[in-house]
Amino acid sequence: MQEKLITIEIDENGNSSVDLEGFHGQGCGDVAKDFRGGDAVTQSSKKREFYAQAAAVKQSQQRT
Amino acid sequence: MSQYEELKTTMTDQQYLVEALTEMGFNPEVQTDGAALKGYGGVTWSRPVQVIIPREQLRGALAPIGFGRDETGVFQAVIDDLDRQYGGLDAVWLGRVAQSYKERQTMAVAKTKGYIFRGREVVQTPQGPKVQLRFAVR
Repeated sequence: MQEKLITIEIDENGNSSVDLEGFHGQGCGDVAKDFRGGDAVTQSSKKREFYAQAAAVKQSQQRT
Repeated sequence: MSQYEELKTTMTDQQYLVEALTEMGFNPEVQTDGAALKGYGGVTWSRPVQVIIPREQLRGALAPIGFGRDETGVFQAVIDDLDRQYGGLDAVWLGRVAQSYKERQTMAVAKTKGYIFRGREVVQTPQGPKVQLRFAVR
């Protein structure tokens, strides 16, 4: 199973962003929330895995 | 004649601020109740500051640097304008303080939340060094 990795990048002005690998769906938001809670992350972006999961959920809902 | 100027930051935690300054080679003084700053030629900053880098620790500087909390609790940097313009104690310097502060804050959050530290890397960019911290989920 792919390890879930989080990369926090802090730029030269102290602004930070989060990059996630191996996460699916809501897991992305939970991690971003963890770091944002301490004001450690000012930007976050969702990777392809998040959108793949979201699309699968949408398709499933349309079928029902 | 020089004068003190206030530069905005987003830093709120005194512990991480002191740790960041210490990591940069300073030995900052903490004044819990706040203190006034006094610079070259009697220049003063009357609003209290809680963290001070004494002038002797700032090579060639005219005045000590202070960090004082504003009414919302955010630290604002108080720096002599001539030191800012000619002494290198400018927005770039303050950015390095903020970067070091953020690194400490991020490590603390990660530890509290139980993430596993996987490494640190510094990437040089035309804008300046970027710090990358990697964590794994337990």
